[in-house]
Amino acid sequence: MEYVNPLTGFRVDGRRPNEMRQLKAEVGVVARADGSALFEMGNTRVIAAVYGPREIQNKGQQVNNKEALVRCEYRMAEFSTGDRRRKPKGDRRSTEISLVIRQTMEASILKDLMPCSQIDIFVQVLQADGGTRSACINAATLALADAGIPMRDIVTSCSAGYLCSTPLLDLNYVEDSAGGPDVTVGILAKMDKVTLLQMDAKLPMDTFESVMGLAIEGCKAIATYIREVLLENTKRLECQRG
Amino acid sequence: MVGLSEGEKHFIRGGIAQDIRTDGRKRLQFRALSVETGVIPQANGSARVRLGATEIIASVKAELGKPSILHPDKGKVSIFVDCSPTAEPTFEAPFQDVLIPGRGSEELSTELAVALQRCLLGGKSGAGAAIDLSSLIVVDGKVCWDLYIDGLVVSSDGNLLDALAAAIKVALSDTGIPKVNVSLSAANDEEPEVDVSDEEFLQFDTSRLDPSVIFDMISVAKHVSQQFIGVLDSEIAAAEAEADE
Repeated sequence: MEYVNPLTGFRVDGRRPNEMRQLKAEVGVVARADGSALFEMGNTRVIAAVYGPREIQNKGQQVNNKEALVRCEYRMAEFSTGDRRRKPKGDRRSTEISLVIRQTMEASILKDLMPCSQIDIFVQVLQADGGTRSACINAATLALADAGIPMRDIVTSCSAGYLCSTPLLDLNYVEDSAGGPDVTVGILAKMDKVTLLQMDAKLPMDTFESVMGLAIEGCKAIATYIREVLLENTKRLECQRG
Repeated sequence: MVGLSEGEKHFIRGGIAQDIRTDGRKRLQFRALSVETGVIPQANGSARVRLGATEIIASVKAELGKPSILHPDKGKVSIFVDCSPTAEPTFEAPFQDVLIPGRGSEELSTELAVALQRCLLGGKSGAGAAIDLSSLIVVDGKVCWDLYIDGLVVSSDGNLLDALAAAIKVALSDTGIPKVNVSLSAANDEEPEVDVSDEEFLQFDTSRLDPSVIFDMISVAKHVSQQFIGVLDSEIAAAEAEADE
């Protein structure tokens, strides 16, 4: 299948190889949560809700009582994918992604400022069209900022792949299921540090460097957008306070 | 979850007695309801309902299946409810190896799903059903439509049943069942060939779905609780009168 048209250079959805899908973010969508956000990357829609810092519910889980306990759960709605899924929680992929998101966010949260407490991050996928992992991390960053949890930096994530000898930014579901390599990168935007790096399939080293570089550029673009959204939100809150 | 103190409970009851609730509504007043359809493009029908801060997303998916032997002229409808942990931290799935105080959302989801099933599909014999299952049949005894209705609780601020029922009703009215062409040349015991059209859609018939039936169910609960509150008030007043003596 032709993922990149040789004549025009367009992908299956009409984008150029280094073009990201349309981003849309909204803060404060779940009223009861301490912080929440809705993040859309093209057709992938994700809601993240943060509850915390609050008292530790289960002392047995606490490893280090000088820092906060960060927990994360990733769930996909049954209608999120094209074919209806059964058992949207508890399967291996969800457990793996929950772990990945938790580790990525833990690198940024200043846990030692909140000892003996727990922070819960819940991510719910409403529509899955490739790049759910990245959308979840971006949504979680916004939700944590909305909850006022101190962080070192904004964590953003983006995926990139390599099909038809071209590095492609922000794969959608069709491109993702092509079986080519899929590199997901998560960075701390201003500090320029990588907190997440995952890849499926194989890539030669020099190609990998160009694909990863493309993904990092995508992450930085998302960080700019997230900063804008947070600034808008803060201005709105300031107006409401009077 | 922070509980309510005795003072707060007294305050709330006192307010109800004067027809004022804590958010300023009257006793019989609903919160603002907002409805949006077509939120899930890949489903046959979908809706998103907001009742105050409660938010529900419902989706309807239609797949071809085999009708049950007991009812060869009827399609099948199944309703599932999923309470997302974003709505309430206690809805989180309990881990396998560690005991967590919240039981997760299994009980609540099942309870809501069963209540909605009774409402929409009626009792065991199909009496009092709101959906006409015979409209879902394609080939008698061989092929029928299976409707999977999924309700997702995104944000929970009370009155989940009402919001879920409204979301399902709207999602069903937004549902388009694809038109099918059945090839008549198949032999009697063979599986008939069914060609599902990608283009044409028939609107699902929801004229028999009466939302007032569902809302009445909830109104009764409120009346009951009013009576209950009334009884409580009079008992409190009686107890206080005795104490004064």
